[in-house]
Amino acid sequence: MTQTSDPIVRARGVTKAFVTGRQEVWALRGVDLEVGAGEFLALVGPSGSGKTTLLNLIGALDVPTAGELLVLGRPIASLSKHERAHLRLQSLGFVFQAYNLVPVLTARENVEFVLELQGADIDRRARAQEVLAELGLADLADRRINELSGGQQQRVAVARAVAARPAIVLADEPTANLDGENAETLMHLMRDLRDRHGMTFIFSTHDPRVVAHAVRIVTLVDGRIARDDLTGGEPPHTILPAVAARTVGV
Amino acid sequence: MRMVSTKYAARSVGRNFRRTILSIVGIAIGCVLALFMESLNKGRGELFARAGSASGMGHVRIVPADWRGRREPRLRLADWRADFAAAQALPGVASVTARVRAQVLLAVGTHVVPVELAGVQPDVEPRTFRYVRTLQRGRYLRAGETGTLVAGRAIADRLTADLDDEIVATTVGPGGEIQSALFRLVGIVSTGSDDTDLAVCQVVLEDLQRLSGFPGAGEVSIVLNDYREIDRARARLVQSVAHGDDVMTLSELAPEIEGHLEQDAAMTRFVSGIILLIVLLGVASAQLAAVLERRREFAVLAALGMSGPRMVWLIVQEALMLGGGGALLAVAAGLPLVWKLAHTGLDFSRYVGGTYAFQGVLFDPVIYGDFGWWIVPYISAVAMGATILASLYPAWYAARTDPAVALRVAQ
Repeated sequence: MTQTSDPIVRARGVTKAFVTGRQEVWALRGVDLEVGAGEFLALVGPSGSGKTTLLNLIGALDVPTAGELLVLGRPIASLSKHERAHLRLQSLGFVFQAYNLVPVLTARENVEFVLELQGADIDRRARAQEVLAELGLADLADRRINELSGGQQQRVAVARAVAARPAIVLADEPTANLDGENAETLMHLMRDLRDRHGMTFIFSTHDPRVVAHAVRIVTLVDGRIARDDLTGGEPPHTILPAVAARTVGV
Repeated sequence: MRMVSTKYAARSVGRNFRRTILSIVGIAIGCVLALFMESLNKGRGELFARAGSASGMGHVRIVPADWRGRREPRLRLADWRADFAAAQALPGVASVTARVRAQVLLAVGTHVVPVELAGVQPDVEPRTFRYVRTLQRGRYLRAGETGTLVAGRAIADRLTADLDDEIVATTVGPGGEIQSALFRLVGIVSTGSDDTDLAVCQVVLEDLQRLSGFPGAGEVSIVLNDYREIDRARARLVQSVAHGDDVMTLSELAPEIEGHLEQDAAMTRFVSGIILLIVLLGVASAQLAAVLERRREFAVLAALGMSGPRMVWLIVQEALMLGGGGALLAVAAGLPLVWKLAHTGLDFSRYVGGTYAFQGVLFDPVIYGDFGWWIVPYISAVAMGATILASLYPAWYAARTDPAVALRVAQ
């Protein structure tokens, strides 16, 4: 396990069980993990190893069955549903495998929506436009979601996740539905956002090309952390605007 | 700045066009039916006011102090002339008339009929008592004449009396003595109802004052130009009538008719309620289907941090938009329908004949609906209220979406 000097996620013996019918399935079995601010961490492991469950717990979408989990110093297990929703809104960003954008809104409105929910006292439209521009989507801001390619949709999803400048961005298999080029681009963009804004990125993946971008790789097997490796330095990546200027996945 | 959440709600309403249109049409049909019933209810109220006031009761009546409880015809107003003047000074008054009443026995030969004889002011009485406006035979009473009588056809038949026959009226005087007077039958009234005819028997005011031995008047009846002013008129009159006299409204004078109409109104509102409930369930079902289709979307919104109340508001906004559409359609369809109802009315003569009597009051067989500005707020309130109610369960269902479970299921 890697110790960090300033952990924003701290898990001690975190266990999560699901009851399906009469059967109890243990998705996580005593996970210990600390994640420091600004990390770019990949959760890897085979299907069913507990990656998504761990992300959901860190994302305050769910509560652990046992153990202690502190996210930004808040004990997830003892927070009410409303408090967890507030924590997600104010401090966490999510990127889903299937993008999960609101189809009836435009790209900018999808981003703006989160800012509106947060009650951000800023020019939300301008901020949304700025974030989309950062991700190379300035010209597509007024397009409806179904008018965008998969790669573009996932970039909009990233824009939505980072627009409110959350402390932690959680991405569950963000490149699973993207081709290699779009996956590469997305990872560069995420790295770039981390570098610029100091956000912590925690993402799950199966994709070795994506893993190559991670600074820290945590391997889960059968609900336990099997390995926790630092890659030995920041892998090189092309920063914006060079990446953003490329038209990818249109 | 327009909120993105409002845009989201508006565009979500448009996602399934056919379902939205069907919901709007359903809301509109429910609203129009409820509107029709309510218009008819209000029309019934107007019919009661019109028929009741024209049956001699007036919209408002000044009565002696104890009359409300005892309904004793021998009671007299403290100062009927002052009361009469106060009634005439009231704004919006169509007509005012004073009366006295007495229980008398009418006799022609061996035929005797007990009646409540009214002493009236012949020059104004027909304005407040429509049954004497058109007589079957003869003429009506004339101001200043004496010894003349007008009776309903049923009374004349029972007395076997005809025009110009002399009728003996006998009553009990103030000291218990028997007093009699002779009247000549100058007019016969036929209302079409024997019960009502038996209640029509009039002489000139002064004649009955002499016969009964009680001076003054027992009531002052007031007909207003607008029956909706009844309560206001009563409130004003209470301030200005002679000390000790009381003021009663039509509803207080004929509580049994008022009760009957309220019962009718309650029944039609109950039917309206059932119709609206069916519409409401239909809309709720459509909205629940919409929420279920978007379960994953709501899970994502919840994951992003949207609170339960905010999600409820989102669904309620969608419902308000559906309700707004339904209200607009209902106004467009309902206004001409209610206008027609207000102008042509619903004719029940096939079922009740030319007129029908209830508690001595003749009612027209045609009921007119009420048409007015109340329709727009009424439809808006019904449409919005029904759709908000219909949206509560789907909204609650959406608000309790567990993002982790819903997203896991979706994947």
